[in-house]
Amino acid sequence: MEKQRHPAFQGGRSIKPGGVYWLRYIIPALLVYGVFMAYPMIDSVRLSLYEGTTGVRQFVGFANYVRLFTDEVVSKRFWNAFGNNWIFFAYHMILQNALGILFAAILTNRTMKGRGFYQTLIFIPCTIAVLVTGYLFKLMMNPVWAGTTLKNAGLGFLVRPWLGDRGTALSCVSLVSVWQWVGIPTMMFVAAFQGIPDELIEAADIEGSNAWQTFWRIRVPMIMPVVGMVAIMTFVNNFNAFDVVFSMETLDGAPDYATDLIGTLFYRYGIAGQHPVGIPEPGVGAAISTTIFAMLLCGVLPTLRATQGKE
Amino acid sequence: MKKLLAVLLAVLICALPMAAMAEDVTLTMGSWRTDDAEQVGALLAKYEELTGVKIVFEPTTSTQYNATLRLQLDNGTGPDLFYSRSYSTGAELCEAGFNVVCNDIPGVKENFTESALSAFTDSEGHVFAVPFAAVSHFVYYNKAIFEEQGIEVPTTFEEFLDVCQKLKDAGITPLSNGIAANWDILECVLLGMVPNYITAEERPAYETGEKKMNDETWVKIYEDFAKLVPYLPEGFASIDNDNANVMFGLGQSAMLIDGSWSYGTLAGDDYDIDIGFFSIPAPEGAAAGFSLHPDFGIAGNAASEHPEEVKAFLEWLASPEGAKIAAEVIPAGFLPMINADVAPEGGIVAEMNAVGEGKNADMRFIWAAMMDLYTPMVEQLNAICRGEATPQEAADAIAALWK
Amino acid sequence: MDNQRFSKRQLHLNQRHIGYHAIMIVWSFIAMAPVWILIINTLKTKKEIYTNPFGVPQTWTLDNYRSIIKGSDFLNYFKNSFVVVVGSLAMILALGSLAAYALAHWRTRTSKGIHFFFIVGMMLPIKIATIRLLQLMKGLNLLNTIWSLFPVYIAMGLPTAVFILTQFIRTLPGELYEASFVDGADRFMIYWRIVLPLIRPALATVAIYNLVPIWNDLWFPLIFITEESQKTVLLAVTRLQGQYTTDWPKLLTILTLSALPVIALYLAMSKQFIAGLTAGAVKG
Repeated sequence: MEKQRHPAFQGGRSIKPGGVYWLRYIIPALLVYGVFMAYPMIDSVRLSLYEGTTGVRQFVGFANYVRLFTDEVVSKRFWNAFGNNWIFFAYHMILQNALGILFAAILTNRTMKGRGFYQTLIFIPCTIAVLVTGYLFKLMMNPVWAGTTLKNAGLGFLVRPWLGDRGTALSCVSLVSVWQWVGIPTMMFVAAFQGIPDELIEAADIEGSNAWQTFWRIRVPMIMPVVGMVAIMTFVNNFNAFDVVFSMETLDGAPDYATDLIGTLFYRYGIAGQHPVGIPEPGVGAAISTTIFAMLLCGVLPTLRATQGKE
Repeated sequence: MKKLLAVLLAVLICALPMAAMAEDVTLTMGSWRTDDAEQVGALLAKYEELTGVKIVFEPTTSTQYNATLRLQLDNGTGPDLFYSRSYSTGAELCEAGFNVVCNDIPGVKENFTESALSAFTDSEGHVFAVPFAAVSHFVYYNKAIFEEQGIEVPTTFEEFLDVCQKLKDAGITPLSNGIAANWDILECVLLGMVPNYITAEERPAYETGEKKMNDETWVKIYEDFAKLVPYLPEGFASIDNDNANVMFGLGQSAMLIDGSWSYGTLAGDDYDIDIGFFSIPAPEGAAAGFSLHPDFGIAGNAASEHPEEVKAFLEWLASPEGAKIAAEVIPAGFLPMINADVAPEGGIVAEMNAVGEGKNADMRFIWAAMMDLYTPMVEQLNAICRGEATPQEAADAIAALWK
Repeated sequence: MDNQRFSKRQLHLNQRHIGYHAIMIVWSFIAMAPVWILIINTLKTKKEIYTNPFGVPQTWTLDNYRSIIKGSDFLNYFKNSFVVVVGSLAMILALGSLAAYALAHWRTRTSKGIHFFFIVGMMLPIKIATIRLLQLMKGLNLLNTIWSLFPVYIAMGLPTAVFILTQFIRTLPGELYEASFVDGADRFMIYWRIVLPLIRPALATVAIYNLVPIWNDLWFPLIFITEESQKTVLLAVTRLQGQYTTDWPKLLTILTLSALPVIALYLAMSKQFIAGLTAGAVKG
């Protein structure tokens, strides 16, 4: 990419504007980003070594971590939520992204009519708030509401306590989330497919490979970098998930913590406190977030460095 | 581009003066009763008429209330007045220094009974809120269905089970209660039953650990609870309190065990059913109990910028005059706690009180000292409903947590 | 180039289109059915919603909308959300494009480090820092006002803005601004007069990329704001959900009212949006 730049722009104006000049452009953004994102994130690590809520905080060393990992109840909840998050992730990684690739492959088929229409429709759920889809699906999956109508229509097997059954609750919540977000990977894969040079595909055509072969031998390998990026995004967004459980189940991740995710767990311990008394433990909350932070950093930094290094 | 930026800037500037200046004293009141905005609004309007002090009602969704309030108070942005839960949930805030201490507010000591005040007194003897309303828990029933099936209101728990069975045999869902909300099955159903088995005088023995939480009585309570499970609706696992209300309101079930606070909506314009209610009946031979739980008081924020006005309002609430006006407007199903005859004659409050007459009244069993058992109990009840724990196992699990 | 490919590949693929259409139609149905259920049920009466959950109303009514708009401060919630979204987006675009402009041109070890520092933020959820942010907002005396949301949303949006815009500016050919540069325009004029108009598609992408999460964010309003007059639409939805839990047509009306503006905006701009998203976002 650098090759296109005129020599004058590599150095400076007529005299070389160095970092001091350019920093003027960067500092406003850096300041906001630093003060309101980077610093609070890093400082959360420090917070996890303290205890107490109101004003007075007491340094307690690693006590919060000890509590998080050894307390019978807290650690059980943590590992339960952690495990649920992986299942939640698996649904997105496998189902959502596979559907995304499938739809993108179809939508980049240039001879097909109505692509724009489908593309528009697929993305509509992404524009609706998670909270809204959550409440909506909660109503729809409820046996009280459409139960009678469905039974009369011979669809009685659909009337089940989907969200109340430990066996199905997490799957239902995950599927609703997949339903909502499948438009994002679709768009990214559409972009990736369109980025494949035409010559490559034409060459394959000339060699007589059929569409299926072209898809697997050329198109899929070419979009692997985007697949990697989508995977990271999916993984990270997992630990952001909160609204979907909040709206479809309860903050406890009902039934019996089957849908408790790191997001709801963090909210309960760090922000809200356990119902009904509600005394939060910001220290434990910070310990939870620091653990996740460390985990994400370990996964994300090497991946980023690898992709950045190629540039 | 320039234009666009200019427009954006203009929008921002226009939005700035939204932090409006307030001249007169305006107090805010936090609450978890989102449903009651209208009625409480009427009460506050009345107060404004009398004193010129405006109070704005700012309710938060019930399940978020405790947490949000704590967060607000912690950060100095709490409302001037707020609904306070009874016992430890409310006391916790006072012990952290957030509440106006009400011991010296005129009327508090005079107009409330010792037991009413004890629900709103913390471990240091501070009265942390003016007691306001008590609630009870009832079995609501659909009069039309009862008539159709020729069913009389049951007077013993055994009769109650017979009624359930009869309804079930007739293809009618007896009870619409579910377990998805994680609170009503404990607060309304189980703890609504407890006064039939353990009186207020016997309760402290359990609190101190003198009696075990898995003694015969408690196992019997769980056993009787378990007998209700077959009469819950199909798919009860995903029915929350709202769904249960809707089902009952639409006539899809014959009965619903819920709090007295639901009376207003169940009997109101939302549904066209004729309802009656009775206390969960006691087992044959046992003295009938009545669940009467001090539910909330009104507290003042110690950090309020208008301490005088806050105290004046609390004093008004603690006076028979104020309480009378309050009793006229507060929603049906909240029973005034003031020790004066304030309830409107022939109203629903009187009818509810009549149900409890001659019975051993007590509050929700765990509220006074055993709040730590709340979540474990909910978990055990869920397990019983799902058939994953026997009553004995549930009792043992709870007993193991209380020493 | 499109046409060339068109003619060549047409032969291979025509017969497959039926299957493709089938897949897309099935998914379109799955995607739209809940939206249909959402909207159609707001036009029914309370009783009909149970007897006729999926169909067209027997008696159409707008009463639900009327009573929600009259009975609550919905317009105020909209205004709050609108101010937050527009203000944050404007700042994200302004700060992000300035930084991207510099990072695209200033290529040293330091600048790469700064660039990397920004991009890491794309990969980490800001929710992790919630407790610290809460204290920060308290310290700044911003709690319980919509102003507490601005810095967070801006900080949250900057990483993607810097990433996308830097990539985009780097692809601009140098000759484009060479002329004015020689004319003696200073670098800020170049940014303002030449770069900004040229990167409009990328700015649109960044704007939409951030619009959806900011408009739809519940987490920070839930934690920062409790005062009624300062609530955003979504936060109000959670409260009204509590108020109308048993009145489903009204509840669905609230959900519809909160969702419609973004859906409408999206439908109006979907062409540009899809073009922007597929052109700028991942290609770099």
